[in-house]
Amino acid sequence: MLVLPKLQLEDVFACAQCGYCMKRCPVHYFLGWESESPRGKVFAIKELIKNDGRVDEKRIHRLGRLLSKRFFNCTFCGLCREVCHVEIDLLELWSRVREMLYDHGFVPENVVRLSEALRLSKNIYMMDNASRTDWVAYTGADVSFKDSAEVVYFVGCVTSFSGRVQTVAQAISSILNSANEDWTLLKDEWCCGHPLVLSGATREARALAMHNVEMVESIGAKKVVTGCPGCYLALKHEYPRLLGRKPGFEVLHSSQLLDVYMASGKLTVPKADVTLTYHDPCELGRISGVIREPRAVLQTIADALVEPEYSGKESICCGSGGLLKAVNPSLAESLARRRYGMLASTGADVIVSACPTCVQTLAQAATATQNGKRVVDISELVAEQIGLI
Amino acid sequence: MAIPNDFLNVLINKLGEEHVSVDPLEKLVYAHDLAALPKSVKLLFDTTPDAIVRPESAEHVAEVIRLANEYKIPVIPRGGATWGFGGTVPVRGGVVLDLTGLNRIVHLDEEHGLLTVECGIVWEDIMRFLQKTCWELPVYPSSALSSTVGGWAATGGIGYGSLKHGPFIKNVVKATAVLPDGRAVMLDDNSDPSLSQLFGSEGILCVFTDLTLKLVPKSEAERPFMASFSSLANALMAAQEVLRLTSPHSLVLRTFGFTRTKDYVNPDAYFFGCFTGYKHAVDKYYLTLEEVVNRYRGYLAPEDEAGREWEERFYTLRVKKWGPSILGNEFIIPVPKILDMVGYCWQLGSLARLDVEVEVMFVSRDRALMFQLFLCDERKSIRYLTEAAITKKVLEAAIKAGGKPYGYGLWNFPFMEAAEPEKKRELESLKRALDPQGVLNPGKTIGAELALGLPLPGRLYGMLMDGVWFLRKVV
Repeated sequence: MLVLPKLQLEDVFACAQCGYCMKRCPVHYFLGWESESPRGKVFAIKELIKNDGRVDEKRIHRLGRLLSKRFFNCTFCGLCREVCHVEIDLLELWSRVREMLYDHGFVPENVVRLSEALRLSKNIYMMDNASRTDWVAYTGADVSFKDSAEVVYFVGCVTSFSGRVQTVAQAISSILNSANEDWTLLKDEWCCGHPLVLSGATREARALAMHNVEMVESIGAKKVVTGCPGCYLALKHEYPRLLGRKPGFEVLHSSQLLDVYMASGKLTVPKADVTLTYHDPCELGRISGVIREPRAVLQTIADALVEPEYSGKESICCGSGGLLKAVNPSLAESLARRRYGMLASTGADVIVSACPTCVQTLAQAATATQNGKRVVDISELVAEQIGLI
Repeated sequence: MAIPNDFLNVLINKLGEEHVSVDPLEKLVYAHDLAALPKSVKLLFDTTPDAIVRPESAEHVAEVIRLANEYKIPVIPRGGATWGFGGTVPVRGGVVLDLTGLNRIVHLDEEHGLLTVECGIVWEDIMRFLQKTCWELPVYPSSALSSTVGGWAATGGIGYGSLKHGPFIKNVVKATAVLPDGRAVMLDDNSDPSLSQLFGSEGILCVFTDLTLKLVPKSEAERPFMASFSSLANALMAAQEVLRLTSPHSLVLRTFGFTRTKDYVNPDAYFFGCFTGYKHAVDKYYLTLEEVVNRYRGYLAPEDEAGREWEERFYTLRVKKWGPSILGNEFIIPVPKILDMVGYCWQLGSLARLDVEVEVMFVSRDRALMFQLFLCDERKSIRYLTEAAITKKVLEAAIKAGGKPYGYGLWNFPFMEAAEPEKKRELESLKRALDPQGVLNPGKTIGAELALGLPLPGRLYGMLMDGVWFLRKVV
């Protein structure tokens, strides 16, 4: 049963219904109906909870499927929270509602399949988890599996298994080698659990978090580096909440590591005669606040960096977040095309992001257009320019 | 009311399934606007629509209204639903016409500075579009981040820039509207009915489908300002002096409660605004402002803080966080009466044990739009119902002081007779002529209707409100 904590209950009633969230919501942009907007969803919650914060079970059972459709038609991009008139933590609220829908069995079929896949195979692709490091052989990357190291490179499911972005793993490995870092991969990395948090399956996500934290701590690593903003969000912000303690390591996104390396002179990258534009991944930029670092890196290595319409904290989602691709692929595709259009219209030669999933999604949108631009991950670009890959 | 299946089938056939919804969750979320209705009030009206239609063209709008006429189904036009007077809330079901899909920029006349837009476009989108041109909007509402052009034309039309450029109506050249019989007509000063007759008629006489707006050349300079004072009286006198000696784009005065949402001001009252125009004029005005603020022992905030406040101008309702609910009203009031009215609001707040915050947006040197917010908690149902009567008390006092409501909608309709009797007669006569079947937004502005179509006399409504206000003492 969903019982909204006092603070969130206050938030639901404090919602001014001003619609600022609705105007910015990338999903509402395409669907248009009030119930598909953050404002509409908050109003629906308000109508379904009692004054003590408990949900009206009867109405939930009656409207469950309809609610599920709306609450999973969301990329969890956090733009609604960013523009909220009364500063409601809407992402927290959406998570609570998805948890409630999961507990009541009102989640879309593909989300059920995804949680089942994760429970059985520990990765989102339902692959044998032993093949998680096959990318090493495919790319010829120079990696090691140590019992003890200073840094762990947490690769993530998408980068490990998806052929289009395995070069991101190759690039990050080569950069770590080039900086003479004492680093290792995990011998048995499991999904970070973020997709389960997004499914509403928080209990199941906890098991994955525990395993990954134990693995890292057994190595004694002081830092965990990842190129995936979803993994970064899970490791840095979700794990302390899931586990009830702060893991004993620092978490860095690859763009932050690159910024540190380049600022300290550990990595020297020649400047290229190219104009870049940067797409802020929602989970990295707006939600985790990593906005300056990727820009600092790109400004150093490129002739010019052009900001697209909506950037930084105001960035628009590419459609790949919040499990939308699994739940409503055609809508996710529309979002990707819209965002790609904004990035391409900057006139930049290359579109850069700092997220393998965004890169994959935007690249797919690029192939659907004539003369589609190259879309690349920041680590790939840096590694290419140094001649590492 | 339940709408006939036949009507629904024809509607779907004409517009397409994707434009019509009867989904129960959709109906739930279209049954309200900005204001939270006391639960008992919801019993009086049937606020849940029977269907929602999202037209994508003016032809769709005309089609819906023609059909509604044929079947005598109420049609409730809706823009961003950012108004709090119940204008977009059904009173006996019917069809809510969500116009936000009509959101295109139709034409920019670069030479003459005229912009034609569809009614559902949000103001912020126009601002973004104009960034690439040499023109800007003369006026826009304080809810510009989500409200629509058509919505503002149907309601008050006073906002940022009105001090310098007048109300919205002075900045509209012409419009196209669909009348209650489904006819699309072009409206301007010479048409019959004229643009000014239908402007601000709160969706009871027509649905605007596109409007041609006057633009102004982009300002050479823009200089926001903010000054705080140890008393509201000083702030008010200083503001009046600024208005007398300079020509700001906008000037807004707020009581201390608003400062709870800021970490950079800590006064009893403050005002903020912006000078726009040629650089030399803007700089001259700013120097005058400095002198005035000093004379009234105020504190002129550094320009970066003033800039932040100006950027925050669309976030008036931040204060709601401390409610979590609010009750409020808006009215136009003579400037000399502001201090008395604020005092009266404080007195009422103290009687009802509610915090009250007041915002005053100057419309001219002698008139201002006053917005007061009583912080309350809608979860305490009975208390909330009794507190709701406070808005009537405030409005009665404002009318006595020579003011008039900013809008009528569902909640302020009984006050039109006292505040603007001539306007009421004109609207009633136009309603009879244009909408004899009472299809368009029935039960609003010039008279209310209960769920079963029974009329709700203004006097009865007033007595009910007085009754609940009295009940407050018992509760």
